[in-house]
Amino acid sequence: MRKRLRKANIWPYLLVLPALIIVMAVVFVPILNAISMSLQNYDLRRPKQIAFTGLQNYRQLFSDKQFTGSLYRTVLWVVFGVGFQFIFGFALALLLNRQFRFRGLVRSASLIPWVTPGVLIALMWRWILDGNYGVVNDLLIKLGWIDKNIAFLANRTTALPSVILTIVWQGIPFFALMLLAGLQGISPELYEAAGIDGAHSTQKFRFITVPSLKNTIFVTTMLRVIWVANSVDVIFNMTEGGPAYATQTLSVYTYLKANTLNMGYASAMAIVLTILLLIFSIPYLHSMFRDQGV
Amino acid sequence: MQSSVARRKHPFRRFFLLILPLIAILTFLLFPYYWTLVTSLTPRQELYSANTVYWPAHPTLDAYGKLFGQFNFLLPMRNSFVVALTTTVLSLTVSTLAAYSFSRFRYRGRKFFMVLFLTNNMFPTVLLLIPLFTIMRQLNILYTPMSLVLSYTTFTIPFSVWLLNGYLNDFPMSLEEAALVDGANRAQAFMRIIFPVLVPCLLATGAYIFMQSWNEYTFAVLFTNDRNRTVPVALKNLIGQLGVQWEMLTSGGIITVIPVCVMFFFAQKKLVAGLTSGAVKG
Amino acid sequence: MKKLLGILVAVVMLLTMIPFALAQDVTIDYWFWADNDGYAATMQEMIADFNATNGKGITVVGSQVPWDGGGYSNTVFTAAMGGGGPDVATWKLTATPAFVANDLLAPLDGYLENWADYEQIEESLWEVMRQVGGGEKVYVMPWNTQVLYVYYRPSMFEAAGIGVPETYEEFLDACAKLTKDGVYGFGMRGATGGQEPWGSFIHARGGTFEDLTTPQAVQGMNDFIDLFKNGFTPPTAPSDGFSQIIDNFKSGLTAMTVHHIGSSAGMVETFGEDVGAFVFPAGEGQWTSMGDTENVMFASCENKEAAFEWLAYLAAGKGQETWCKVTGNVPVAARVKEMEEFQNNPFMKVSIAGAPYAGILPILDTTTEWISGVWPATVQQALLGDITAEECMEILQTELHK
Repeated sequence: MRKRLRKANIWPYLLVLPALIIVMAVVFVPILNAISMSLQNYDLRRPKQIAFTGLQNYRQLFSDKQFTGSLYRTVLWVVFGVGFQFIFGFALALLLNRQFRFRGLVRSASLIPWVTPGVLIALMWRWILDGNYGVVNDLLIKLGWIDKNIAFLANRTTALPSVILTIVWQGIPFFALMLLAGLQGISPELYEAAGIDGAHSTQKFRFITVPSLKNTIFVTTMLRVIWVANSVDVIFNMTEGGPAYATQTLSVYTYLKANTLNMGYASAMAIVLTILLLIFSIPYLHSMFRDQGV
Repeated sequence: MQSSVARRKHPFRRFFLLILPLIAILTFLLFPYYWTLVTSLTPRQELYSANTVYWPAHPTLDAYGKLFGQFNFLLPMRNSFVVALTTTVLSLTVSTLAAYSFSRFRYRGRKFFMVLFLTNNMFPTVLLLIPLFTIMRQLNILYTPMSLVLSYTTFTIPFSVWLLNGYLNDFPMSLEEAALVDGANRAQAFMRIIFPVLVPCLLATGAYIFMQSWNEYTFAVLFTNDRNRTVPVALKNLIGQLGVQWEMLTSGGIITVIPVCVMFFFAQKKLVAGLTSGAVKG
Repeated sequence: MKKLLGILVAVVMLLTMIPFALAQDVTIDYWFWADNDGYAATMQEMIADFNATNGKGITVVGSQVPWDGGGYSNTVFTAAMGGGGPDVATWKLTATPAFVANDLLAPLDGYLENWADYEQIEESLWEVMRQVGGGEKVYVMPWNTQVLYVYYRPSMFEAAGIGVPETYEEFLDACAKLTKDGVYGFGMRGATGGQEPWGSFIHARGGTFEDLTTPQAVQGMNDFIDLFKNGFTPPTAPSDGFSQIIDNFKSGLTAMTVHHIGSSAGMVETFGEDVGAFVFPAGEGQWTSMGDTENVMFASCENKEAAFEWLAYLAAGKGQETWCKVTGNVPVAARVKEMEEFQNNPFMKVSIAGAPYAGILPILDTTTEWISGVWPATVQQALLGDITAEECMEILQTELHK
């Protein structure tokens, strides 16, 4: 029965087709092109010397100290960036799901970081964290926590946390909204039944909310990890990857290399990042596909 | 609709478990916006004073006047709206179809397609720009809003498909199966049973698509010209070699946020629980 | 409602897609960046003026492209490589080698031969244009220059009891003496673009860009590091870019900083009389950076004759005059330089006084990467004490001449 259904039914394919056609029409050639660039010394500053070099770019990568350093910082950037986004975003979603006055207003106001043009985000945060007249320094001094301004973005130890703070700020509304939408799908009867059985709110959260949102949580965190790992503009506009590489992640390094036209090397880096992200996704995918009983 | 559980809570508890954390998170989220507002209202002489200004002594709306007068900010805003709305409708439609297929059917190539979509978004766009530009030129849509709609649709489909697939998987399959048994075809079952439940999720995914298209710069600067520039490009024009035109940039930021938030204010009314419970009971 | 919106969207899109090839005349696509919205408006006025007065049926269509911290050149490059892009574009010399290597620019020599105003522009400047294009051909049309000099606050100098430094030693001394009461002597630029003021330090000790590892050049680097380590610059210096050094100067945080005449209007607006300028003083050697803005014509341009008319209008015609008057940049055409407005402006005087010492970095195909990546990261390491001045200069040397 199952086999017959699979053979006869072209509907699932037809449903996927429009999305597939659009995506393939636009990115198929460019991605193939990038793969082929990664196998050449494709430096557009010296176009006449471009030739096939095999895995040369990849070999060079692993002896490049900047690359390994960037890889390490990418991990920190993603783990802390997405981690805090998720925690605060989930908390916000739960709060926004409760009943209170002006809820609609609060819900749309909490989207603001996400709506703010990216151009502005980095500049505003740069100004807020400014080491000379930034408001954060001013507040910390007024609170008596520090006695001297901290140059957050010029200091190796504080630069990375500063850019992470910014990306966390920007990403909270994403999780809040996505999880809030997921919460709407949970039947209130489940909570009521649990309430009758005498469950506490923490128990309800653990045994009803989290399991019901499992797929949504999986998907949103995975997508966000990919997105944050690839994001460039917050870091680039706040610190350009500096000071002294302190905030240079792989995507920023790739961006710099591509912008200085060393496309071959940049492509190799991009492909390595893609493969790493795929490897990271495997457990997610595995568990998701298993749950669905493929 | 009122949750009876929330009603029974002690007001003291409610303060510590709802109001206080809400205020804390909102303060963090909204402070930079407040700061943007202050900057946009501060006259230039005050902006460069050594003391931190929490509210300008002589607030001025000059920057806003200039923004809508000489700078003609309504044009990029209109362009951004056209692009973002078109993209949202297009991307959401095709993504929902694909997500439904992934979630409700099991077939050969399914996993492959899903991973293919995912991989597509792992690749940094900066390396795809030159061939993309060529493609847009060959399709003859360069310097028209269509080029942005097409590229944003392409780059939002993968995430949207995955998000919607995730939501769909969280919905019990039993609902539709019941309808299918009752003799409805799949399309009817989808419209009657799934669609109403999916509305909040479509809204959230739509918001994601909208924001991506609304805030995108790299494609926007390449694929448009002065007639159809979008908001991020217009704002970036305010950052030259001689520094940032703070008052204009920040007032632009303030203005950009408002219509989107107002739109969401009306849309979020659909973000309510109970749709499912209705379906279950019905 | 949704339907209505859909129709609306469709109509708007159709309207914008109507091709505007209705005109019979020649159209030139021009891309430019503008440093503020006022300059952008000026450029559109100039375009309108040119279109109305050229008498050859040439219509220039200008599109403003964001400067984007230098990302402008990448935007233009991507478009040109993708087979599109403009006919003529505003330019920075550093971008030239990559464009020439990919055969994207049109050589101008043929048009220059017959151009009546060729002599208006100094031969030395033409020579620079030839150099960046590989030595044989001119691809780049001069437009205006900006000579970097030191901005200072006379009131702060007075309070510190010092005069305008005449030598490099005095300059370093001034940085120290001006640092007090929350004011820093020198607004240092440690992020991208900082190589321009930095070059003055290297040359003041007798170093050159040809060999950055000489003891003289290293000494200059040491001076640079010491200013930061001794606290004569704001502690944010390693991450300060253009915007920050100007903001810091304008807020009274720093007593001196290095920039060109482009920012003088804003300085005067902020300080009135209490801002002055002097040429970066001489030590063993003397050098200051010449900022530049030019225009180029692309190989893909179909109406090169017409495009050259527009280039000429900007380089020596009415466009030269209008643009330099509004932006305060140093004109390249002799006729315009002699005009009264340019002769009486005090900042213009300093710019002209600095002109004999003004130079540019060697424009190699490695230069853009060196500027945007190598210089900031390496110098930041030196400032933060990760590497010594010698190591720093070693890296800078290898990466530039790779």
